[in-house]
Amino acid sequence: MPASTQLGSQLVDLCSVLLLLCCFAIVAQRRLSACVDLFALQSAFLAATAALVAFLTGHKHIYFAAALTIVIKVIVLPRILRKVIERLNVSRELGMNINIPAGLLICGALVIIAFFITQPIIPLGYLLTRDSLAIALAIILIGFFTMIARQKAITQMVGFLVMENGVFLGATAAAYGMPLIVELGVFFDVLVAGLIVGIYTHRLQDTFDSVDTSTLTVLKE
Amino acid sequence: MTVLLVGLLAIYIAGVILPPCFSGKARIQNLVAHGLAAAAGFAGMVLGLAGLLAPEPWTASVDSSIPFLSVAIRLDPLASFFVLTISVVGLAASIFALGYLAELYGRASIAAMGSLLNGFLLAMTLVVLADNGFFFLILWEVMSLLSYVLVVTEHEKPGVREAGLFYLIMTHVGTAFIILTFLIFFQETGSFSFEAFRHPDQQLPEGLRSIAFFTALIGFGAKAGIVPLHVWLPYAHPAAPSHVSALMSGVMIKTAIYGLIRVYFDFMGGEFPWWWGFTLLVAGTVSALLGVMYALMEHDLKSLLAFHSVENIGIILLGMGAGMIFHTYGLHELAALGLLAGLYHTINHAAFKALLFLGAGAVQFATHTRQIEEYGGLLRRMPWTGAFFLVGAVSIAALPPTNGFVSEWLVFQSLFLSFQLPTLFLKLMLPIAAAMLALTGALALACFAKAFGMSFLAQPRSSHARHATEVPRSMRVGMGFLAGLCIVLGLAPMLVVPLLDRVTAPLTGAAISSQVLALDGWVVAPVTVEFSSISTPVLAMLLVVAGALGLLIARLFGKALGARYYKTWGCGLNLTPRMEYTATGFAQPIKQVFETIYQPTVKLEQEFLEQSKYFIKHQRFESHIEPVFEKYLYRPVVALLLAAADRLRIIQAGSLHLYLTYIFVTLVLLLLWAG
Repeated sequence: MPASTQLGSQLVDLCSVLLLLCCFAIVAQRRLSACVDLFALQSAFLAATAALVAFLTGHKHIYFAAALTIVIKVIVLPRILRKVIERLNVSRELGMNINIPAGLLICGALVIIAFFITQPIIPLGYLLTRDSLAIALAIILIGFFTMIARQKAITQMVGFLVMENGVFLGATAAAYGMPLIVELGVFFDVLVAGLIVGIYTHRLQDTFDSVDTSTLTVLKE
Repeated sequence: MTVLLVGLLAIYIAGVILPPCFSGKARIQNLVAHGLAAAAGFAGMVLGLAGLLAPEPWTASVDSSIPFLSVAIRLDPLASFFVLTISVVGLAASIFALGYLAELYGRASIAAMGSLLNGFLLAMTLVVLADNGFFFLILWEVMSLLSYVLVVTEHEKPGVREAGLFYLIMTHVGTAFIILTFLIFFQETGSFSFEAFRHPDQQLPEGLRSIAFFTALIGFGAKAGIVPLHVWLPYAHPAAPSHVSALMSGVMIKTAIYGLIRVYFDFMGGEFPWWWGFTLLVAGTVSALLGVMYALMEHDLKSLLAFHSVENIGIILLGMGAGMIFHTYGLHELAALGLLAGLYHTINHAAFKALLFLGAGAVQFATHTRQIEEYGGLLRRMPWTGAFFLVGAVSIAALPPTNGFVSEWLVFQSLFLSFQLPTLFLKLMLPIAAAMLALTGALALACFAKAFGMSFLAQPRSSHARHATEVPRSMRVGMGFLAGLCIVLGLAPMLVVPLLDRVTAPLTGAAISSQVLALDGWVVAPVTVEFSSISTPVLAMLLVVAGALGLLIARLFGKALGARYYKTWGCGLNLTPRMEYTATGFAQPIKQVFETIYQPTVKLEQEFLEQSKYFIKHQRFESHIEPVFEKYLYRPVVALLLAAADRLRIIQAGSLHLYLTYIFVTLVLLLLWAG
């Protein structure tokens, strides 16, 4: 492997690790608005990774995806979420099903699982981004875990978006990104999901005076 | 053939699409929908006859992009016979519907009913023509769903909704078993094409073959209404509008008979284990006997007819079962006879049951009730309907010279011929089945003496019956066509048997029509004229002669005896309809005799005047019989299912986080397992 490629590969790995770190930060965060900020930061790192991959491989369409990431995930979605938080006057505290230390431990375990699972696959790859696959899987799992561990609808949205970031990273890592049309579709989906969660949170607040999804249990019979 | 088939399909499809185009004009919708259905019925009759007479089966197939599915059609004699049966009844029912639905203008959607009816007839016709398992299952499902929608036409009544749901569940249980049957064949042949299923090289392993036998029996049995899978039938068939009931009872349950014959004789031909036929024989005997016994206790005219469908399916199965047993022992000619008897009864039952359901519909049209207890004296008010109903009643009671008699007689003969079997057990069992069939026939006669007598004779028991008038002409035409058919099928076995022989010969490997029809076809003799033979035309002539003779004697000697006309003596009281024999009263002795089966509950509450206990202030009589199968077979199963569902509800906590956790844990476990 030539030196420049090796350097590029290491840079991609660095960016991926920063993404993963953001995940841990989200799990360790007590304040709601900070979670949203961290998600914006993570998305910025994701855009950087994508741009890096585009630069190293010369696949122009990844630049486009990176630009979209910045517009939608760094600017638009965080703004929607902040607005929802402001308007609904959601208390800053996060409702937790699992406390932070335990959550971090579980996340650590999830990272190990992710690396364990991808172990047999990674050596088969030949792309310079291949190591990121394990990290992408870890991000997906942690995003999912966030959805379970936090009670408020907005944190669940953040968890979902983190998962989406993981999927994006995974696609970049495994195959230099999905075809542009798929990418566009996914961005559109994410945007719509953001809007829906916004509305859904309003309804939740109206009905239960809280955005805690645990209150939904009363809907059963 | 191609032109006929394409024309037939085109008319039905037009019948589905066109009626809704005339929105707001109920009369035109009715004319278009049922006119097209009748035209298609006529085309179907021609197609069926052409298919029966064709020397070679006619096939066509179009492959589709869906794996294993090809739109394949095969018009062999068996399929042709069923197309003929469906089309005949479809024709009569559509003509009947023209008048029958006039009452509903403005109250129900005629366009929807007409479209659904055409779709239903189309699906049934294609079911018997399908030559691909996948295609067959799709059509079968379409047929079941459309008939469900037709059953719940009057969905504003809660009873109808319940009946519909019951039907829907049972028919899907049945479909599941049919899918299983085809999957067993698919596993062995790697194809869903019927051609591959029937290929002689393909022989299922013995164990698998027997499993397929049972899955087919349960799957098709649920549709046919074989006891104990019949429970939905007496609810669902009467709930539908009468012309639909006629189609469901007359032909839809016959598609199940078609399925059974197709699977057993066509796909699994060759050696049957002896107990297959025996199983059918037992199922047939039980269905026939219990069907007629429950019919006797039923005082809702259409439910009574529905129970009789169970009985007649039993009789058809007796013929088929005997055929299979003979087939096992290589007695191919007798096998052909049994199957032929079953098929003969199939078309006969289609004709007279449809006729009776149309008759019941006509009576309901005129009186707005289905309770026999509220009828009476209808013959004077509705002479045509009464006459047609009588023809149907005589046919179903298997009295000569009508069609029911011929086919039941043939079933009897094939059962009696069991003395040619090598095993003692079966030699004993077949005559026992014949004895049970005899009992069934006697009870059916009693039942229709009740149904006809209590409905049409004596004086009206309610104002409904008193104000009844004859039904419109189209309804009479529909009934008259079937009544004529009942008589023709009875008087002309020499025309029917050769056609049926073309169906059974390829399936059993023996052509018997020349043997069965002796003396230029005027005599039907299963083995030899000496052993047993019968001739309905001669019987009919004898009946006419005897009747004329009776009249003549009465005319000659009646005067001499001094006839005096006077009112019926009523112990000095004026006669009122309340003194008439009721349907309940008529059935009472039989209820007493078969108490163990019916498990009747009788309650009488009386309140007397204080002055004397000889004067009753008011009294309340209650009598009902136990629905044994529902109580001991179905309710425990339903209770078990509900209990299991209750247990499973623990995991349905309603918590979003819990559901997410389920997904998460599953995902991680699957990933670990795959890694």
